[in-house]
Amino acid sequence: MNAALLLLPAVLILAAGFLYPVALLGRISLNRTSDIGAMEPDLTLATFEKVVGDDFTWELAWNTATLAAGSALAATALALPVVLLIRAAPPRWRGLLSLMAIAPLLVSGTARIVGWLAILGDQGLINAALEGLGLATEPLRLINNLTGVRIGLTESLMPYACLVLIAGLGRLDPRLEEAAATLGATRTKTFLRVTLPLAAPALLAAFLLTFVLGVSAFITPRLMGGGRVFVIATEIFDLALETVDWPAAAALAMLLLGALAVALVLRTALTRSARA
Amino acid sequence: MTHLRLEGLTRRFPGAAHPAVDGVSLQLPKGALLALLGPSGCGKTTTLRMIAGLEVPDGGRVLVAGQDVTALPPHRRNMGVVFQSYALFPHMTAAANVAFGLEMRGIGRAERRARVDEALALVGLSDLALRKPRQLSGGQQQRVALARALAIRPDLLLLDEPLSALDAKLREGVRDEIRALQQRVGATTVFVTHDQTEALAMADLVAVMNEGRVEQLGAPEEVFERPATRFVATFVGRAARLPGKVEGPGVVRCGEVALRFSPSPVHGGGPGWGDAAGTTVELFIRPHHIRPLVEGQPADNVLDAQVLRRTFTGDVVALECATPAGTLLAELHGGTRGASAAVGSRLRLGFAAQDVRVFPA
Repeated sequence: MNAALLLLPAVLILAAGFLYPVALLGRISLNRTSDIGAMEPDLTLATFEKVVGDDFTWELAWNTATLAAGSALAATALALPVVLLIRAAPPRWRGLLSLMAIAPLLVSGTARIVGWLAILGDQGLINAALEGLGLATEPLRLINNLTGVRIGLTESLMPYACLVLIAGLGRLDPRLEEAAATLGATRTKTFLRVTLPLAAPALLAAFLLTFVLGVSAFITPRLMGGGRVFVIATEIFDLALETVDWPAAAALAMLLLGALAVALVLRTALTRSARA
Repeated sequence: MTHLRLEGLTRRFPGAAHPAVDGVSLQLPKGALLALLGPSGCGKTTTLRMIAGLEVPDGGRVLVAGQDVTALPPHRRNMGVVFQSYALFPHMTAAANVAFGLEMRGIGRAERRARVDEALALVGLSDLALRKPRQLSGGQQQRVALARALAIRPDLLLLDEPLSALDAKLREGVRDEIRALQQRVGATTVFVTHDQTEALAMADLVAVMNEGRVEQLGAPEEVFERPATRFVATFVGRAARLPGKVEGPGVVRCGEVALRFSPSPVHGGGPGWGDAAGTTVELFIRPHHIRPLVEGQPADNVLDAQVLRRTFTGDVVALECATPAGTLLAELHGGTRGASAAVGSRLRLGFAAQDVRVFPA
């Protein structure tokens, strides 16, 4: 039997669940919106021109990119010590600890955000504690703003960063760090001169993956931002369901898809050149 | 003068039934090479790692030049370690690998350079200083690892199976090189190996380890010729093993014949142990101790033998012979008497009483 046939189920699912909707989206993005807001069949790039020419689009793109980059950086930086700890643990604990690090993926993203709201809200755990300790008279605004989105997004990206780093650092021979120690390097020196340089490719991979996920994140900005934080994903949602301007929503979605594709190609090229 | 002293070194891994290292004590003079020899899992590598400070002992002490270093972390011990996988830093050149330990010691750029050049020259790799480890062959990587360990002028050089990752062809040459280098530098060295030939060829002292304990500590000849325990007799060198029963002082019955052995008493049995008639024992006789005899030639022990199998391996002929005492293996050099004996032919084999090792069965 031809081995390619084994790919058939996956190809069919991908075609029905991803390629067809994307093609449909592409088609819609070429339609026209009439003056009264109704969609009219057409084959025009007018919607793209309108979206690209709009300063608001670029402001959104900037917000999205900086939010995703900041959260991806924080998630990767926070995941590193977790993974180093897992690596240093006795072998029989490693499996369980790895599972715990990625366990948040087993819980629905919405449920995790509800948890965050309970912790960060005006009457939440943190503000109640601060007030109880007499450290604050006014509640800290930790939700319904950019801070809340940053916290939520960082947390939701961490399991992915852990996943990439566990795989990447797992291949790092612990004997290298032992060798550094026998040569007189303190723990700090060993980390800076041996562990960190060798972990760099894995850290870059973790950052790029979480960045891409952060750029396309919708639920967290929507729920933790309380309608005050605007990114491309929330704008697409608003255009499609609030304004009901499907061609504009489709065009924006296609642009985002294109940008992410470029990022992925760059990432592949980067890792390839790092290996060579 | 004793340079390294281990006192009752013990390490128990959590969840393990037996200690990995169980009360290892030994002393090593300055400039000597000690081989820790034993099968895998005997605790030799764990012992080495405790000397280096990479493993924390549950009991016992490590003393270097009279100083107790047991509580010191590895980076404060000044020990040059060559790992089995070499553990070269893949992101640094050979020269940077060698310089690393000097840099950590805060040695200035000029002196660092000189000492890196010196160390690389010592292992004959001056031309490859700017190569990364992956651009070097296994043998070259191993030399860089040696140079890196020696450049810090360590109090002890510790080698963990340094030859096991090399091709069999290379191994003998590198073995002799390491030994020559170690003697030239005068580095007190501990060397871990499971290969008895390596241990016997390189070491001043061999510690044969089994189940976390040192079974015998001695010069290579001593360990080979006078094994102290049955395990050592089995693990080091080859021997015909015959079951027997003690008949009296220095006499043991083996099959249909009585054989003489000395010195009495039996090894490892305590004073007078083996003289008790009726004790069940096992005899070890090395193949190279067995000689074919001419008619009328005397020997402590003489056996009539018939050749069962003949194996020609170049310079040595191995003869498997049936005797009244059991099956014996004799190794004869090509061209010597008996070496041309054909399968089925009859021989008279002799061996000295002092070459018979007797252990409690």
